[in-house]
Amino acid sequence: MTDEFNPKILGFLCNWCCYAAADAAGVSRYQYPPNLRTIRVMCTGRVDAAFILRGFVEGADAIFTGG
Amino acid sequence: MRPRFIDADKCTACGLCTTYCPRHLQDTFNEGLNLTRPIHIDYPQAVPATYYIDPAACLHVTEDTCQICVPVCRSHAINFNQKPKVKKIAVGAVVLAPGFGKVPDSTLAKYSYGVHADVLTSLEFERLLNPSGPYQGNVLCLSDQRHPKSLAFIQCVGSRDLGCGNGYCSSVCCMYAIKEAMVAKEHDPELDIIIFYMDMRTQGKDFDAARKRAEEQFGIKFVRAKVAGVTPWGAKGLRLTYSTMDGRHRFDPFDMVVLSVGLDAPKDARKISKLLDVELNKFDFCRTDPFHPLNSSQPGIYVAGAFQGPCDIPESVTQSSAAAGIAAGLLKKQRGKGYVVKSYPAEHDITGEDIRIGVFTCHCGINIGGVVDVPRVDKYTDGMENVVYHSESMYSCSQDAQEMLKKTIKEHNLNRVVIAACSPRTHEPLFQETLKDAGLNRSLFEMVNIRDQCSWVHANEPEAATEKSMDLIRMAVAKANRIQPLAEQTVPVTDKALVLGGGVAGLTAALTLAEQGFHCTLVEKEAELGGNLLVIKQTIEGVGTAATLKKLISRVKSSALIEVITKAELITINGFVGNFSSVLKVQEGKKTAEHTIDHGVIILATGGREHKPAQVLGQELVKSKQIITQQELETRLFGKAKKRAPSSVVMVQCAGSRGDDLNYCSKVCCNHAVKNALHIKEINPESQVFVLYRDLRTYGYAEEKYQQAREKGVVFIPYEVDNKPRITKKGQKVEISFHDPLLQEDVVMQPEVIALSVGIVPQGTEALSKLLKVPVTEHKFFMEAHVKLRPVEMPVAGVYVCGLAHSPKPLNETIVQAQAAAAKAAMPLVKGSVSVEPIVSHVDQEACIGCGLCASLCPYQAIQIIKVDKKRKAETIVASCKACGICASHCPTFAISMGGFTNEQIIAQIEAFGNSIEE
Amino acid sequence: MAKAVKNKKADKGTSSGAVMVLGGGIAGVQSALDLTELGYYVYLVEKSPAIGGVMAQLDKTFPTNDCAL
Repeated sequence: MTDEFNPKILGFLCNWCCYAAADAAGVSRYQYPPNLRTIRVMCTGRVDAAFILRGFVEGADAIFTGG
Repeated sequence: MRPRFIDADKCTACGLCTTYCPRHLQDTFNEGLNLTRPIHIDYPQAVPATYYIDPAACLHVTEDTCQICVPVCRSHAINFNQKPKVKKIAVGAVVLAPGFGKVPDSTLAKYSYGVHADVLTSLEFERLLNPSGPYQGNVLCLSDQRHPKSLAFIQCVGSRDLGCGNGYCSSVCCMYAIKEAMVAKEHDPELDIIIFYMDMRTQGKDFDAARKRAEEQFGIKFVRAKVAGVTPWGAKGLRLTYSTMDGRHRFDPFDMVVLSVGLDAPKDARKISKLLDVELNKFDFCRTDPFHPLNSSQPGIYVAGAFQGPCDIPESVTQSSAAAGIAAGLLKKQRGKGYVVKSYPAEHDITGEDIRIGVFTCHCGINIGGVVDVPRVDKYTDGMENVVYHSESMYSCSQDAQEMLKKTIKEHNLNRVVIAACSPRTHEPLFQETLKDAGLNRSLFEMVNIRDQCSWVHANEPEAATEKSMDLIRMAVAKANRIQPLAEQTVPVTDKALVLGGGVAGLTAALTLAEQGFHCTLVEKEAELGGNLLVIKQTIEGVGTAATLKKLISRVKSSALIEVITKAELITINGFVGNFSSVLKVQEGKKTAEHTIDHGVIILATGGREHKPAQVLGQELVKSKQIITQQELETRLFGKAKKRAPSSVVMVQCAGSRGDDLNYCSKVCCNHAVKNALHIKEINPESQVFVLYRDLRTYGYAEEKYQQAREKGVVFIPYEVDNKPRITKKGQKVEISFHDPLLQEDVVMQPEVIALSVGIVPQGTEALSKLLKVPVTEHKFFMEAHVKLRPVEMPVAGVYVCGLAHSPKPLNETIVQAQAAAAKAAMPLVKGSVSVEPIVSHVDQEACIGCGLCASLCPYQAIQIIKVDKKRKAETIVASCKACGICASHCPTFAISMGGFTNEQIIAQIEAFGNSIEE
Repeated sequence: MAKAVKNKKADKGTSSGAVMVLGGGIAGVQSALDLTELGYYVYLVEKSPAIGGVMAQLDKTFPTNDCAL
């Protein structure tokens, strides 16, 4: 299945909740697909709409904001 | 002070000496599983990171020959002229923390320990599992290095064992056995593991969940049985003889057996006792009483850790902080004398310098290196923009790695550091400290999480995990190219505490703070102080609580430093560590009034209460006067049943906890049941008492009381989760039916009383969680900052927790936790100031147009509009700013930037993300 | 040592503000760290060549399975 869609996802993770949860997922050894690349922010309130548009411009198939 | 024979200042820990040393020696750090040399270091991360010579094995010390090592050492650190030194020190207090001792080998003999190489103690197995152990973490039989196919853990070796004089439960073995079994399964998923146990005592916070995971996720089997012995069997194997609940004897072959040995009293216990004149208990641990769990019999001498009684790491850490707090109270007049403040080298000014980035990629033992191809990742960083240095590290957080990092920063003139390892949430402060030690501003640092969010979650996709690591590092380097040093700021502290909750936890915390000389306000929502201790009449040791509680309350009330406010609750709280401002709603007669209190820290001690279950044992609770809770039974035994205890009582454990309404163990119910059972037997020895239980968790010294209860004729009968006792109503009477595994038949009883152990729920945690923005667990208990290392601190700075609001626990643990919370809370008060994280927002007033959008959006009221030259400008109140960045993302003129998270930096990261796709 | 403590208590004016912590395992190390944060000089006494005690020997610790070092 070489044609399988393998999306590149860019994530903005809030340090206090989503980033912490992602750490916790690691601690519990939950397994999830390795398509996500993350940027830690101190709060998703930091995420300017411009960042999201820029992400798409740079070739992201999807943007994930977790907060 | 015994000599190391090595000059610590000169030793570079290069290890050359060990390779030349001609003599072999069993490696005690690896529990004798492999060999080392008389001149060695226990492990690379050891503190101090200096080699030493074992005088008992060194040829020069014992035989006056050899000395090969002396010329080998390039730094001339070896010095056989060192002599033992005696140093006299004057101290005002002593904390005893000598740890625990080993159960004697004679106790292990019946399990063929010492006879067959594949019978190991749990600590030996711990080393075997360790990547730095003898087989690099591979689970191999010591006899012939083959992979074992079957492994048995035997619980309660040297604990709960009157044969070896250890009538107590060591409290930690069940949990470590589960952990070791899971780690072994991670190393070798094919391995069959059975844990043979009497009761699984996983009573700690969220420990039951781990047991469940071991069973369901890892396929580890648990068998309730008594193991009679282990004998060599066949050519290589071992045979385990055990009897199950039904009284049948069975034999099973295993390749390897791990003995879950208990914690013995420290070897030096008697010596310490004699030297310091402190009393020991009958098991040779330090004697203390339940109301003063850390005070030895000698004033000024306190005890912490396993010497106080067998306990796990969080309990040890809590006790240690508590002991520090009590000692600090004793010595408050001497505070600050002889104290040396850590100094850092002057900060290196990097203005105008070229950017020089160093990238360090960590293996974290096998945690990262086992999945991610670290050498490939390291190589990938070569040639990235301004990366002038890169390397790998086994454990980048270790002490030796910090020294190495400092050295590398200096040697290569690094002015930005990127570390790819674990989570910045846990390890950023450590590395930033090292940067400061190396003269760099701590903000010149970026961390990449390739463990928690990469190797651990993509364990089966090494290639993808490696690529992800490379991408994340590239993004971090892009950001690192744009980071700038940020100035440190400090804010003064209001040296006063607020304690919420007037139960034993709150009372103890307030008193411990007052004893250190700090003001505090104690807030209780009821009219009376005392909390649960008002209804708990005696401890499991049989000591009455009333007198102690009365004394505690009167000490609190008479303290000039403590203000007690009852019938009050917290309604709002503003501010941050060092500068909180809280509003209390206080009931005054028929009116309510509001009080505002300024304080620097807050301790949450809102407690818990007995659960009121709707579901019991998988069925709806049967309502009857004959069915009561353990607490109600206790009240009755001190009230109208004082002289006439019920003639027959059936107690049912986990009736509410562990599965029905509450999906956790409440830790205290088994003790409570045993306590009440003994009390009934004391009032009326003829009374029939039955205790139906799943795992009887009388851990620690409570095990003795369990033993006593059985001797007095209390009958303990285990039941299985899939066959719970059934309670029904038969006319006016209640009936309970259950399966007796010993008799192998179903039994029906109509006792006078059925007492349910219903468990404990927290109080007030949800509302406070919202007010203070602190997390709670799924069971609504406050969630501490780190389970092991920061057990009484909340993730929000300046907020501490103790007592039942943290998790269910008995009285002595509550007292210790309260003392620990008070010790931790005193730290900012002692210092008098707190540092503000440099990541707060900053307004460029040139670019600001004074629209005020940011001020209206800020959730923390941390932006004010001021007039500068008659123009409106925004300004950050740094101490209130939580660095969320909402202001920055909404500013129409891009006038606000966030320290460490600037637009430029984030855009660079996004661009670097994009580069990977083009590849 | 017991004597020293007693004597120090007897003449309060000159008593020492230092604390001796006996044992360099996790309990001793944590006590020592906390005492320094609270403003006291600490003598941490350990009989073996390195501090850390048994916790340093542990592979991983529950529940985070962090390396115990």
